[in-house]
Amino acid sequence: MQKNETMDTNLIRNLPRAAKRSYRWLGIISIVAGLIAWWAVARFSGLPAFVLPSPLQVWQRFLVSLSDGELAQNTAVTLLEILLGLFSGTLFAIVLGYWLAKSLTLEKFLSPYLVASQAVPLVAIAPLLVIWFGPGIFSKVLICALIVFFPVLVNTVVGLRAVPTAYYDLMHSLRASRRQILFHLEIPAALPIFLGGLRIGATLSVIGAVVGELVGADRGLGVLINVGRGTYDTPMVFVAVFTLIALALSLYGIVAWIERRLLAWQQIMEL
Amino acid sequence: MLKRLIVLILLGALTAACGASPASGSGTNALVHIKLPVGYIANIQFAPLYVAIDKGYYKDAGIEIEFDYSLETDAVSLVGANNLQFAVVSGEQVLLARAQGLPIVYVMAWYQKYPVSVASKASQNIKTPADLKGKKIGIPGRYGADYIGLDALLYSAALSENDVTLDSIGFNQVAALAADREQAVSVYTNNEPIQLRSEGYQINELRVGDYVQLASNGLITNESTLSSNPDLVKRMVSATLKGIADTIANPDEAYTISEKYVPNLAQADATTPKQILSSSIDMWKANRLGYSNPQAWTNMQNTLLKMGLLKQPLDLTKAFTNQFIP
Repeated sequence: MQKNETMDTNLIRNLPRAAKRSYRWLGIISIVAGLIAWWAVARFSGLPAFVLPSPLQVWQRFLVSLSDGELAQNTAVTLLEILLGLFSGTLFAIVLGYWLAKSLTLEKFLSPYLVASQAVPLVAIAPLLVIWFGPGIFSKVLICALIVFFPVLVNTVVGLRAVPTAYYDLMHSLRASRRQILFHLEIPAALPIFLGGLRIGATLSVIGAVVGELVGADRGLGVLINVGRGTYDTPMVFVAVFTLIALALSLYGIVAWIERRLLAWQQIMEL
Repeated sequence: MLKRLIVLILLGALTAACGASPASGSGTNALVHIKLPVGYIANIQFAPLYVAIDKGYYKDAGIEIEFDYSLETDAVSLVGANNLQFAVVSGEQVLLARAQGLPIVYVMAWYQKYPVSVASKASQNIKTPADLKGKKIGIPGRYGADYIGLDALLYSAALSENDVTLDSIGFNQVAALAADREQAVSVYTNNEPIQLRSEGYQINELRVGDYVQLASNGLITNESTLSSNPDLVKRMVSATLKGIADTIANPDEAYTISEKYVPNLAQADATTPKQILSSSIDMWKANRLGYSNPQAWTNMQNTLLKMGLLKQPLDLTKAFTNQFIP
């Protein structure tokens, strides 16, 4: 394998040329097939447009909301909530995750609250959070951070605890300081599992932001969904949903790219 | 001889079968099952429906009611798609839906006054719509009756949204007002103000229905049901109107009946629910129960046009009908 090459690109590199070309087009073909299937259902099922609009109707609504700035303004608000929630949820999860990984006592003491943070349905407590913290951006960021917190926390703990004891022995034998152990052993070793959790957290953060907006907000893609439902503008609901999907995919892609960059050394080590 | 006997028996059987035919639908043999969304949970506000069920008005009309607690917008979509025949919704939903091609028709006015108020603590000194200028007002969101009713109230005082600060707070108006997060909140006349007063707050209330007449809560159906089964619509309207009339005439009896249909009502302190029922009855009373006032529909359309929720006027004659109102 070449430097910085992943398993995926290695597999592609060894395919026959014709297969390589069709492999690249598969994703696009899948999307086009999905659009055709959607159009066919909308056209021939007899469902009215307010139940299932056609791809063209959704596209036209997208263009209108793009041209009047409505989509961009509301997307910017949701994106801000997502980024702030993702950052704060991840930071808190990393800090707490490190100490939980080091202390079984602390983990057992906090475990009821940690499990509850995941088990409680957000749609049930979101109205309470809006009451307690107000309808502004803070409650949305908090809801977002809560949904990101648990998967990142769990993967941080698992990643740190997965470091083999022999590696610690080696570091201690070289008289490494606590700081050196953290930066030269624990972080690199835990990074693959941590980044896996971050990928999940990144996509969940979109859900968190929207749940908060659906409960009570003046701006955001969740507000567009509510207003679209309230005025039977189903194409607008679709536009907002697709924009949310695009945001989630983009965040996932960014984390995956970061993962490839930060874990490039793994491929080098395997040579 | 035997042949004649067989023919007579067959004729007799045929006659009996025609007499019991479900086509008429008005006997007790074949009840039409109607799933009825009412847009809220089981509540004393729906006393007329409980009375109509309990006294057999729906049964006599050949109808069996099953309550559905879907959201109002979902109910409208279901009726529009002819998955359901009827629903109880607010008037503006009809115009908003028809503007998007949903073929729903309003066939009976239940509320004669729009059931939205703007409530504020007495200390805010908001006693007229003009006093709302410059205030921070909480609404559930920029959709629905609370939002539209508030704007209609503002327009009645030559104000607009630009003269106030609107806050979308979800359905948390009571908490927001109690905690002084908002100076005023848009609420349901027969709900939140009564709750706030029962908790000891001194409240000023501006009722939209006192300043502008708007098409309010009523019974809708769809064009398909209207054209294929107008008799069903007539029977549904008739039974419901009887329930409303009986409730207005005998609130105490209606309350007692409602205890069978509203969970925990029989065990609860009756003070607040009875106030809710009394406040609701005030909004139902009319010289001609069920009648839709054309001016109320014109006012509603004008409000929605001014708010930008409607892009162009609709043919209001297709949005509502009084043909089933006695």
